[in-house]
Amino acid sequence: MPLDAIPIVAVHGDAPSAQAGLVPGALSGNAPALLREIAEHLRRLLAGAEPAAIDLRAMPLTPADLDWLRERLGSGEVNATLLADGESTIVETACPGVWWVTHRNDRDVVVAEFIEVTFLPELLKAHPEDVQFGLEHLELLISDLS
Amino acid sequence: MQGPLIDTLVRQGVSRRSFMKYCATLASLMALPPAAGRAMAQAMAAARRPSVIWLPFQECTGCTESITRSHSPSLEGMIFDMVSLDYQETLMAAAGHQAEEALEKAIEDNKGQFLLIIDGSVATGLDGAYSCIAGRTNLDLLKHVAPHAAAIVAVGSCAAFGGIPKAKPNPTGAVAVSDIIKDKPIVNVPGCPPIPVVMTGVLAHFLTFGSLPELDRLGRPKAFYGETIHDRCYRRPFYDQGKFAKTFDDEGARKGWCLFELGCKGPVTYNACATVKWNAGTSWPVEGGHGCLGCSEPDFWDGGGFYKALSMPADPLKMAATAAVVGAAAGVAASFANRAKKGGAKAAHETVTLADLEK
Amino acid sequence: MNEMQFLTWVRGPGLDIAVGIFLLGVLWRLIEIYLLGRKQDVAPGRHREGASGLHTVFRRSVPPPGMVKRSPVSYIGGYIFHIGLALIVFFFMPHILFFKSVLGISWPGLPSQFIDLVTVVTMAAMVVVLFDRINKPVKRYLSTFQDWFTWTLTFLPLLTGWLTVQHLLLPYTTMLALHILSVELLLIFLPFTKLFHAFTVFGSRWYIGKINGHRGVPV
Repeated sequence: MPLDAIPIVAVHGDAPSAQAGLVPGALSGNAPALLREIAEHLRRLLAGAEPAAIDLRAMPLTPADLDWLRERLGSGEVNATLLADGESTIVETACPGVWWVTHRNDRDVVVAEFIEVTFLPELLKAHPEDVQFGLEHLELLISDLS
Repeated sequence: MQGPLIDTLVRQGVSRRSFMKYCATLASLMALPPAAGRAMAQAMAAARRPSVIWLPFQECTGCTESITRSHSPSLEGMIFDMVSLDYQETLMAAAGHQAEEALEKAIEDNKGQFLLIIDGSVATGLDGAYSCIAGRTNLDLLKHVAPHAAAIVAVGSCAAFGGIPKAKPNPTGAVAVSDIIKDKPIVNVPGCPPIPVVMTGVLAHFLTFGSLPELDRLGRPKAFYGETIHDRCYRRPFYDQGKFAKTFDDEGARKGWCLFELGCKGPVTYNACATVKWNAGTSWPVEGGHGCLGCSEPDFWDGGGFYKALSMPADPLKMAATAAVVGAAAGVAASFANRAKKGGAKAAHETVTLADLEK
Repeated sequence: MNEMQFLTWVRGPGLDIAVGIFLLGVLWRLIEIYLLGRKQDVAPGRHREGASGLHTVFRRSVPPPGMVKRSPVSYIGGYIFHIGLALIVFFFMPHILFFKSVLGISWPGLPSQFIDLVTVVTMAAMVVVLFDRINKPVKRYLSTFQDWFTWTLTFLPLLTGWLTVQHLLLPYTTMLALHILSVELLLIFLPFTKLFHAFTVFGSRWYIGKINGHRGVPV
C-alpha cells in the first residue's frame, strides 16, 4: 500500500475540557461566584491590602465559563503584551484594577492564566537592576554623541 | 529580586520578567496558590547554588536527556545548570581519578546539605558487581554517599521503583533506591523518562521552602502525580460515551476515540502528561494516538502486556488443557471408585431368607 | 504488594489458577455423575401425554399452581436474580470483551445504563431472598453453611463489579482487582458446591422426567 493512501485526518485543537464531569460547551455555574470573589479582592485592595491573584487553571471552569467571564469583565484601557519566553498578554478589564493575565510559551500554547487584582501588575514594573542596566546603556549612548 | 541565581540567568540573557513568568507558571502547575509563584521567584533568585551530586546507576541516560534537552534553550535546563552539579559522570568534564576526587570533595564540603539525585536502579546480585563506577559497586557507592545527603531525589522509574532492570527475571537483582536507603527523605520522580518540569518543580520547592513537596503513598510529589492520566485525559469524554478505538487504524482511532481497549493504562497511572504534555506542550503519547504504558507506576514492564486492555486477562487458558485432563481423569477415577464401592456393597450383601425372618 | 501488582496478579496467575480449578472441577463432576450409571428399567414403558424428560425440563421452570401465592419471595425473587445474573454475565460489554479475548467469539451487548439498573435490581432481589431465608423459621432450619456461603460467593462479584463501574468506595484499580478476585473465588467453588446446578439443572430434570415418564407419570 502506498503511504499516501493512508488517510490523515486532522483533529482540531479544541480539546474537550479534561475536567471530569464538565461539559466543554456548557456553563458549569462556577463563574458567577468568581465575580463575587474578584469584587471582594477589590474591596480589600482599596482598604490597603496586598494585591491578589486567582489561578484560573486551578478552578473548575469550562471554556464556556472563561468566555462568559471575559465577556462580563470586558476590556479596559490598558492592553500590554510581554515578549518573554513566548507571548504574555496583560489586559486591564472594564473594571480598573482587575487584570486578565495570559501566559503563553514559545509555541504559543497557553501555559497559565490568572486574574490579578492590583493597581499595576508586578510583571509590568521594571526592576531597579534592569533600570540600572538601562541607565548604563543610555549613558553609553550619550557619551557616543559627544 | 536579587541573588546569585538570577544574576547568572540575566547574564545568560534570561530577563527577570521571563523568570517571574516561569515561576508563576510553575506554581500554577504545582497547584500552589498564586502568591507562591512570587515567593518562589524571590527564593530561587536568591538561592546560593545548592550542591547536587548525581549518581547514575543501572540506567540508559534517558532521564538525563529528558531534563537537559527538554526544549532548548529551556529555563528548566538553565535552572538545572545553575545548581552546583558537583558530580554527574555523563555531563562533567572531569574523568577518572579527578572525577572521583570531585565526588569526595563535594561530600566533604557540603555534608548534610547536598541534594543527591539518583537515576537508575541498584544492582544487588553478586554483591552488586553487575554495575560499577570506578571499580566500586553502585550499592557500595549509594551506602557511602546517601548518609551525608540532605535528601534524595530518585529520578526515573528505575531509581524510584526498579524499572526495566527489575523486570522479570531481574538477572541483576535490581532494586529501587528506597529499598536500600531507609533513613533519608526520598522523593520519587518516576517516569520513563520523567517530565522535566517535575524535576524543576521539586528543586524549586526545595529552594523556596527548604523542604520537599507533599508526597503520595509511593513517594511521588502529589502536585504532579495526584491524578490519573485517565481523569485528566482529553479523550475521557469518549470513554464515558463508550466510544473506543478497536485497532490503531480504524474509524475510531481516526476520530480520536478512547484507547482503553488498545491497552491504555491511563486509568491506573498517576502522572502529569495529560496536563503538562511533552516537548514544550506540543503533544503527549495519548494525543499521538498510542495508549499510556503506565511508565510512572511500579513494575509497569511486567503489567501483562502494553496492548491488552486493563480489564482483560493476561492468559487465562494457560492451565486449561492440563486442568481438563486432570479433571477428566479425576472423574473417571471417582466413578471407578464408586463402582468398586457398589460392587463391594453388593458382594457383602447377605441375602435374607425366610428362615432368617422366622428366627 | 501495591494495587497494580494486585491487579496484575488477579488477571494473571490468579485467573489461570481459578479457570484451571473450575475446568478441572466441572469435568470431574460431570464425568463422575454421568458414569454413575443406572440399571436399565426392563418394565415396558407406559406412555402418557406430557410425561417425558423434555416436558419436565420446561414444566419445572413454571411454578406449580398456587405456589407463587404461598411463597412469592422464593419464586419472584428467584426469577429476578437468575435472569439478572444471566443478563449481567453475558450481556455487559466489558464481559463480552472478556469472553472474546478468551474464546474468540463475541455477540451484541446491552447498554451499560440498562445493565446498571439490572445489577441494582438483582442485588435487591438477592438481599430480599436472603432476608426471607433468615425470617422464615422453616427455611432457616433447612439452611446449612453452604447456603450462606454460596449466597455470599454469588453476591460479591455483583457488588464489587457495580462499585467498580460506579467508581465508589475504593480506587478503580483496587476495586477492579477485587471484582476479578471475587469472580475467581466463585469459579473455584462453583464445581464443588450446590452452585454446580448451573451445569446440572437441566440434565437432572431430564433424568427425573424420563424415569417417571417411563412409568407414565408426568412430573
